[in-house]
Amino acid sequence: MQVSNKLTPFFENLNFERDDNTMVINFGPQHPSAHGQLRLVLELDGEQVVKAYPDIGYLHRGIEKMAENMTYNEFLPTTDRLDYIASTSNNYAYALAVEKLLDIEVPRRAQAIRTMLLELNRIISHLFFVATHALDVGAMSVFLYAFREREFAMDLMEDYCGARLTHSAVRIGGVPLDLPEGWLENLAAFCDKVDHEVEHTYGALLNENRIWKMRLEDVGVISAEDALSWGCSGVMLRGSGVKWDIRKEEPYELYQELDFDIPVSDRCDSYGRFRLYMEEMNQSTRILRQLIPLYKDTEPQLMAHAPRYISATKEDIMTQNYALMQHFVLVAQGMRPPRGEVYVPTESPKGELGFYIKSEGEPYAYRLKCRAPSFFHTGLLQDLLVGTYLADVVTIIGTTNIVFGEVDR
Amino acid sequence: MAQHQVNYASSAGLPIALTSVDKLVNWGRSNSLWPLTYGLACCAIEMMASGASRYDFDRMGTIFRASPRQADVMILAGTLSKKHSEFARRLYDQMTEPKWVISMGSCANTGGMFNTYATVQGVDRIIPVDIYLPGCAPRPETLQYAMMMLQKKIRRESADMKKNTKQDLTTQTGKRARLI
Amino acid sequence: MRKYVPKDNVQKKAYYTDRYHVVPTVPQSEVKSGLYFDTILTTLGDAVNFSSIQLGQLVIHINPEDNFQVMKTLKESCGYLQCSEQSAVDYLAKDNEFELFWQLLNVSVAKRIRVHCRLANGAAIESIEPLFKSANFAEREMFDMFGIKVNNHPFLKRILMPDDWEGHPLLKTYPLHGDEFASWYEVDKIFGKEYRDIIGPENRDPAKIDIEDTKRFSRVGYEVPFGTEYNGEEENDIEYSETALVNYNKKTSKQLDERR
Repeated sequence: MQVSNKLTPFFENLNFERDDNTMVINFGPQHPSAHGQLRLVLELDGEQVVKAYPDIGYLHRGIEKMAENMTYNEFLPTTDRLDYIASTSNNYAYALAVEKLLDIEVPRRAQAIRTMLLELNRIISHLFFVATHALDVGAMSVFLYAFREREFAMDLMEDYCGARLTHSAVRIGGVPLDLPEGWLENLAAFCDKVDHEVEHTYGALLNENRIWKMRLEDVGVISAEDALSWGCSGVMLRGSGVKWDIRKEEPYELYQELDFDIPVSDRCDSYGRFRLYMEEMNQSTRILRQLIPLYKDTEPQLMAHAPRYISATKEDIMTQNYALMQHFVLVAQGMRPPRGEVYVPTESPKGELGFYIKSEGEPYAYRLKCRAPSFFHTGLLQDLLVGTYLADVVTIIGTTNIVFGEVDR
Repeated sequence: MAQHQVNYASSAGLPIALTSVDKLVNWGRSNSLWPLTYGLACCAIEMMASGASRYDFDRMGTIFRASPRQADVMILAGTLSKKHSEFARRLYDQMTEPKWVISMGSCANTGGMFNTYATVQGVDRIIPVDIYLPGCAPRPETLQYAMMMLQKKIRRESADMKKNTKQDLTTQTGKRARLI
Repeated sequence: MRKYVPKDNVQKKAYYTDRYHVVPTVPQSEVKSGLYFDTILTTLGDAVNFSSIQLGQLVIHINPEDNFQVMKTLKESCGYLQCSEQSAVDYLAKDNEFELFWQLLNVSVAKRIRVHCRLANGAAIESIEPLFKSANFAEREMFDMFGIKVNNHPFLKRILMPDDWEGHPLLKTYPLHGDEFASWYEVDKIFGKEYRDIIGPENRDPAKIDIEDTKRFSRVGYEVPFGTEYNGEEENDIEYSETALVNYNKKTSKQLDERR
């Protein structure tokens, strides 16, 4: 007769508590959090992560291949969908790369407008970061407050270019539209509002919050060598003590003339990065306030003058015959840039966004490679998640600020 | 669109007659549609914005649920890539009846601007869709209009819910097949 | 007989090129001796086949066998601690080679270097993952998209495409819309091969119009003239005019084919 006791239980084939028993769970491609389609295969020992393997590619849409089949101007709205939270920064990085290839100079008013749009997109992206990071960690009301501010920013973008999310607000050679009436006043009011909110709402709710600090301090620590080796850029580098911002080191547009600081943190953890994002929003409003008088004393020329590559202004096209013919050829066949290659890095809100364009003189790019900051930050998760608890996994994914449009392209 | 007063007790001139049990069930179902958070790409951001402060989704009784077992509506927002299509279908199968699908944005409707090797050209190749919502990305008000359109559709249905979606196909041999 | 279409590069090409069109090139300048980039070149020695400065960045060409050594020198002696980007360009149609490039960044001096090498078709490249961890993902992507094998990589598996995908998408021979395997992938995976004819082929024509489409638009049949109130009760019949509307989906007639 079989007797069961603690030493010999009835079910002999079942394994109970063994010390080396790890559980493999799938942090699947469908998330309740905001970050998109990341599949993490986590091997857990109890609650601690032993091994993490990020599986990406669930949003791969073949954007680089599309670039080989579309003309340069045609491809610009597709770049919107890379980092879809701050679309103008991708448009701008692409336009800058093509302009470097063509070696044309953008007029000053267009530069002012572009810088304003870039900084506005930076604020939009950082507000989104604060909202979703807080939502992931658990502070859900900050999500609603940040989205309220974001709606005002998107109203501004909509007044300018007509779209809330996928802007295409920048063209190769300049900008297509001038600022509408009253936009600058609304922008100034928005800057005041953001400054006020960063200090009094998000700052007051989160900065010295005990629970927030406990959740975020010493979580996701990256040393500076690891960050550089993994190809991190942007806030990930600055949060680890490396003072590197492309707007200061390899400046483009009007950043050389503007006065702003680069916040750097030595803490190397998520709390430091969070404070950096908040501080960067303040710096962005500072830049925007300096740009408003700068815009006012520029001549009203919006597109570069390069008849081989860029069409004339709309008034000329509608009245002059040769401008119409040139515009037709440029739209129907596409412009042919010089043969060669270019790689231009820009500081997008997520990090270093750059486009490598190799052209053979054809109207279609021979190879376009988009250097997406989030791609390398996702790779970093392999090393970063080991040894953390499951609750910290969500915090770390949030703090890397990854957007899957960029990762998978 | 400005149809604020909905008369739940009438049949609204439909070809079929709804019993009062049907109308009660439809009232319950349409006013508390719980979406499954299925944001894939850019449209997900607009879906989140429609659930956030300005365009509040909660006033329609929707609560975004993460688990497919607890959700009624699957709002497919964004591009469905071929790698992901298997999981989308699996999540659709795991949803319990009654379930509806809103396909949001041009990428989910027809593949959108991504006419490439890695995108599914329209979610309705693998999942039967009730409401198609065009736009790139559609405004949050458009998503709410689609939700209201879905509510109207639900109120017209009888409670046993025979599916009436676009995928009503005839195979080469002449058999009528339906993607369910 | 149909016109011969070369299959070694199926990407879109310009349909017309002016006969006297001269293609300019991006200006390349010599590396001037004594300045910063010259010290890099002397450190690397004769591993460099060709060097020039393009648009403020140093571009050097090396042999593919030396890539690990060159990267090691650049990292340890010259301080290029970050490999920003790494990928390949497909020149199989022209020279039967790939051109790989690595983009390096020196944070302390704020300078960038691009290293190029030409890799023959079928050859493999040595992984630089021990030096720069970003190569872990970047080389996997290069393998996935081009089929270039990487030696000594810790985990060389497909990253962006599904694991059982056949074909390497970014090659010039791979069509944008995907080959036959790609077009039926999701149907085969989810439902099985029998459903191929139930679901039907993909619609790759963005301009396809179906006369039945508008039947399912919301509010169709309940339109009212501009300015009047919408009461949502009266239904109008939809009229499709066969004379005014042209059906563009029909196949071209025999007459047009003859004229072509």
